[in-house]
Amino acid sequence: MRSTLKRLVTCACLLLAAVASRGTTTPIELRIVVWDGDESLRVLRRVANDFEQAHPGIKVKLENVDYRYFFQRLLSQVAGNTAPDIAMLDPQNMQMFAKRGALMPLNPLINQTDGFRLAEYYEPIVDVFRYQSDLYVLPRDIAPIGLIYYNKRMFTEAGLDQPDGNWTWDYEPRPELGSQCFTYCMQQLTRKGDSSRSTVWGFAPSWTGAFTDTVAFSSGARYVNDPQAFESLNFTDPRIIRAFDFVASLANEKKWMPSQTELSSVAQTTAVDLFISQRVAMYQCGIWDVPHIRQALKPGSDRFFEWDITLAPGHIDPTTGEVVREAPSGGSGYAILNSTPHPDAAWKLVQWMAGEPGMKAMAKAGIAQPAIKRLAQGPDWIPGESTSLEQRYPANRIATDQAVPFAVFPPTAEYWGEVSGLVFSKTEPIYLGTSTAEMALTEGNRIASTRLSKILEEERLPQFDWRWGGAVGFLLLFAAIAWVYYPERGKKRTQSERAETRASLWFLSPWIIGTLAFTVGPMIFSLLMSFTNWDIIQAAEWRSLGNYQEAFVQDSRFWNTVKVTAVYTIFSVPLGLIASLALALLLNVRVKGMPIYRTFFYLPVLASAVASSLIWRKVFQPEGGLLNVMLFGRDGQRDPFGLTGWLGLNGQLPNWLGDEKLALPSLIIMSLWAVGGGMVILLAGLQAIPDFYYEAATLDGAGLWQKFRVVTLPMVSPALFFTLITGVIGSLQVFTQAFVMTQGGPNDATRFYMLHLYENSFGNLRMGYASALGWLLFLVVFVITKIQWRLNKYVYYEGAA
Amino acid sequence: MKKGVGTRVGKIVVAVLLAVGCLVFLLPFYTSLAMSLKTPEELATTAAWSWPRNSTFNNYREVLTNPNVNFLRLFWNTVVIASLATAGVILSSSLVAYAFAKMRFLGRDRLFVVLLSTMMLPAIVTMIPTYYLFKELRWINTILPLTVPAFFGGGAFNIFLLRQFFMGIPKELDEAAKIEGAGHWTIYSRILMPLSGSALATVGIFCFIYNWRDFMGPLIYLNEPEKQTLELGLATYNSLRAEQWHLLMAGSVLVTLPLIVIFLFGQRYFVKGMALTGLK
Repeated sequence: MRSTLKRLVTCACLLLAAVASRGTTTPIELRIVVWDGDESLRVLRRVANDFEQAHPGIKVKLENVDYRYFFQRLLSQVAGNTAPDIAMLDPQNMQMFAKRGALMPLNPLINQTDGFRLAEYYEPIVDVFRYQSDLYVLPRDIAPIGLIYYNKRMFTEAGLDQPDGNWTWDYEPRPELGSQCFTYCMQQLTRKGDSSRSTVWGFAPSWTGAFTDTVAFSSGARYVNDPQAFESLNFTDPRIIRAFDFVASLANEKKWMPSQTELSSVAQTTAVDLFISQRVAMYQCGIWDVPHIRQALKPGSDRFFEWDITLAPGHIDPTTGEVVREAPSGGSGYAILNSTPHPDAAWKLVQWMAGEPGMKAMAKAGIAQPAIKRLAQGPDWIPGESTSLEQRYPANRIATDQAVPFAVFPPTAEYWGEVSGLVFSKTEPIYLGTSTAEMALTEGNRIASTRLSKILEEERLPQFDWRWGGAVGFLLLFAAIAWVYYPERGKKRTQSERAETRASLWFLSPWIIGTLAFTVGPMIFSLLMSFTNWDIIQAAEWRSLGNYQEAFVQDSRFWNTVKVTAVYTIFSVPLGLIASLALALLLNVRVKGMPIYRTFFYLPVLASAVASSLIWRKVFQPEGGLLNVMLFGRDGQRDPFGLTGWLGLNGQLPNWLGDEKLALPSLIIMSLWAVGGGMVILLAGLQAIPDFYYEAATLDGAGLWQKFRVVTLPMVSPALFFTLITGVIGSLQVFTQAFVMTQGGPNDATRFYMLHLYENSFGNLRMGYASALGWLLFLVVFVITKIQWRLNKYVYYEGAA
Repeated sequence: MKKGVGTRVGKIVVAVLLAVGCLVFLLPFYTSLAMSLKTPEELATTAAWSWPRNSTFNNYREVLTNPNVNFLRLFWNTVVIASLATAGVILSSSLVAYAFAKMRFLGRDRLFVVLLSTMMLPAIVTMIPTYYLFKELRWINTILPLTVPAFFGGGAFNIFLLRQFFMGIPKELDEAAKIEGAGHWTIYSRILMPLSGSALATVGIFCFIYNWRDFMGPLIYLNEPEKQTLELGLATYNSLRAEQWHLLMAGSVLVTLPLIVIFLFGQRYFVKGMALTGLK
């Protein structure tokens, strides 16, 4: 007895001590969010652990969110005041946060810190992270894309000297310059085969736009007049037009470079894989491809060949004769959020991660070029005698340092994404050879300039008063309740009806509470938002009907997105309905192994969306893609149905997702593959039909078709009706396929309404406009559903109350 | 023998049609599986649909032991969230659906319009107000925003689906029960629910898959890596800057496998419809 008491007391004391000690040394917890993939995350985690050991009072919570969703999540958190302490940012997205006061200016922190030398960082990347003279992001890496990876053996075989980085490109090859002429190298390195599968190309860009940028920038042109806050666009600059035409002709006419469709078509998909499999002699990319190439080309393995990197070519200015050497660049760094309760600890961590410890670790792993010049020139980044054989490639790592002075960063003005998107949606046909650069860029420049002037012309709007909004919200809620109950007034009700209404409350109350709180409340809120101009961080402004007017009148893409979505719905819903009913009927028959069959047909619904979209891209590839192999044979020569002629392709293989006319039909075909969802619902409906209905019909002498028409169809009609209504609602909100597979292209052919809405909401930070688009969609869906509801009278409900 | 197609020839035709269709529908899953068994080198040099020359489980080992993505932990989190949400939806949506299908109450038809309307506004538009609400409730970084709403209504889609099924159940049944003095609760729990196995299984499976696969919800509401779900973990291998297809495919096969098992065993409940009860 006593011992128990003793134990209890000891326990209590220990507990108290534990609580007390927790109270005194509660560690500071810092949340840091990055968009690194798996490999760099392993390195970062080690760096963060080292930091925790060096700073016992601070714990680091590392969060990773992919770039595609990074800003949507960070914005929600900033708006909801739940932001992390530190966030990774890049030049394109820094201004969005800095401008709205979400970031802490770093200058005061830097000034307080003894021994911190900003001058050690590369100047261009520091400059790009300034907004109105304040520094908001401490750079952790710089990533010039002006690097060419090249296959040494292919240069020797073509009789060319190894490139030394002093080369220049020209519109035509200049044999007299030998390997000093990039264009000549491209020509000499190309080995044409009888089909694109046996061709070795001289050069490939990791993505075509990056090479066009390099050509345009090194001919002295820039897309905008001021990267921080531009007011005009230069896409009609003759040098830019010529750059686009030049790059397109390299692929389409000269064929020294894989075309945009070929780049995605050969089974390997990307330029780096073409390089590894020796299908291109050189390709352009930033330094981040190195770990991938090292892994694939281990010294001593049978796939190994000697390779290296060098600077991207410059261009000789025709008037001055000087070499201009400019190329696009990226980079990233860490910013401290203004809302952090621990700015000093956060600054310590930023200095660590975007300082020597972090950069050295990233450099050693070969992941990123340090933003501190000294480290980028040091032994952690530049291979030396002591470096292991594998790590010695590429030997010419100093090129990354040499590329920095020529780095051109993307414009940091926050509206660059929106405005450039309008231009670049028009440039795809140039690369595909279906439009000249002049036509496409003139059109793109015109549309984008119109939008730009709208953005710059500051609307003077009154501030939106949320108290007033709240009052209107309650009125709307009241109106909705009145709409439900007002028509019922004064009707005579029997005792039992009143009892039924009371009883129904037991069943309905969870839904009523949940709907008011989680659905109707936010819906009314968003309706109010649709009359405002709101970036979700700063104060909202009252815009009255401006958003709706903009959608109908000014938004150049609005009607196109409506058309695309309507066409998709008109075809995919009825086709899907028929297919899922047919499938359900087949799967309702008693055959051995039916559970397995059902599961197989349902697999597409179960499979991971990301994995399936990748596989579908491979199915739709023009060359070597499964669909074309099935239609036209392995070599692509067979055409038994005359399909290419019928599609107007002059014997070329259809490029399903890349062709403006075929992209939407391809997505419709793809949607049929996921009929499993509807199939399951209809199957459940079919299973509920009692056997004796069929037996009775058989006795009456009904045939198969009559049984289907008289028994099956009416009995399954409630499930069919459901599938129709929800199918239309779902397909008018279709989003993921386009977001993952086509990004709305080519030339906006698959730009669905929801994609447009999404880009306006978290992409362009126009929550008010996005809400207006959402509510317009709501109205359309509502009306369409109302019309479809008339079909309800043909639906047979056996147990309607 | 069942439903129309009864002859031996009919059955053979059906089996052939099914077998051919299966090939098309299996293709993507087969491709994921094939890719997940290849080394990164083989992945880069062969067509996606070729079967691996030397199958290896290394990718699976790596996915299961990666310290960045604690797979077992995420698996457990996902099981908890998806099960709770499914339980909530089945309980709560069947109650609401019963009321809409079988009860006459004040403003029923217009309330049903309200119910349907809640499906019509894209979620992205209500995301900020909803986020704000959950933040005020101090629910951010917990599983509550992903599970509690399921217990309050369970979603218009599920209610609508169950309502359609309930309306198909003959009214003679509940009328007979009423005459014997049964209240609505008895009719709901003793008659309707036992008869709706197939519909409830459908809703349950939809809901479980939806929550298992949900990306946006966990992304927005769960901050800490230890609290996140499988689908978020998979995204680590699908980074825009560094795609690791071999790991992504192995991971997606692992994530899909439990769903396949659940569906394979769950789908026999579809068969338990009215047919077995011999009514009327």
